[in-house]
Amino acid sequence: MQIQPDELSTTFAALADPTRRAILARLAEGEATVTELAAPFDMSLPGISKHLKVLQRAGLIEQGRQAQWRPCRLKPERLRDVADWLGQYRRHWEESFERLDAYLQDLQDTQRPGKGDER
Amino acid sequence: MTATRIDRGSTESTTIYSDGADLVFERTFDAPRENVWKAFTDPQIVPRWWGPHGTTTTVAEMDVRPGGKWRYVSGAADRDDVTFYGEYLEIDPPRAFKWTFMFDVEGMGPQGGPETHTFEDVGRRTKVKSVGHMGSVEALEGALATGMAGGAIETWDRLEALLAEG
Repeated sequence: MQIQPDELSTTFAALADPTRRAILARLAEGEATVTELAAPFDMSLPGISKHLKVLQRAGLIEQGRQAQWRPCRLKPERLRDVADWLGQYRRHWEESFERLDAYLQDLQDTQRPGKGDER
Repeated sequence: MTATRIDRGSTESTTIYSDGADLVFERTFDAPRENVWKAFTDPQIVPRWWGPHGTTTTVAEMDVRPGGKWRYVSGAADRDDVTFYGEYLEIDPPRAFKWTFMFDVEGMGPQGGPETHTFEDVGRRTKVKSVGHMGSVEALEGALATGMAGGAIETWDRLEALLAEG
């Protein structure tokens, strides 16, 4: 499924990076400052800030306004949208195939005795 | 081609994998190809199987020829109706067809993209391959990394509930 250029594709692009996913995982445990978020990574504060900007633009996190203490917080709604979308797509085809299988079996059972209408 | 093929949670009966920017579903049906083709392209038959369990499908429009439009309305007890729609791009009976598979997400507009279905004889059975073209490897990886981490999603759910409580 090609995602149209919209918010969802920005989100997908933001999620494509392992560092950003690790940041999200950390924020799932609670809000954190940029310094706290940078700690597990071998990365400068500006480096982490760049990732945070991408996540923010993608609607995945928000950051407090205070100059010194700017805690980052997860915005789970967007992540849910993405997960829902893909989960539903998977489920759609998996379960449709199951139903199709049952239908085709029924059809063959009814075709077999008569067989007259086969092309 | 096979180098980029990564399993994405295949089940006993359905093979699911990604190949570059494509998400692929494969299943072999114990039926002749003609029957399987009809199941996908006959508006009388589509409502009998299309959509997940617990849903009903009404075919509102289905003009099976290149440039023709299709529109299915999916109903379920626990949600509002969802309309899937698109356009047939290529038709090659009974071997393959390509259409766009679209649906509207509130606040985000139309989502989806092209999807190709191919039908192949495997002895007396028929292999169906449905390929969703995701557009970019990054999009697919990002989506799968999130969507399939079930435990993580539950965490988000709980967090969301927590945040809602204030």
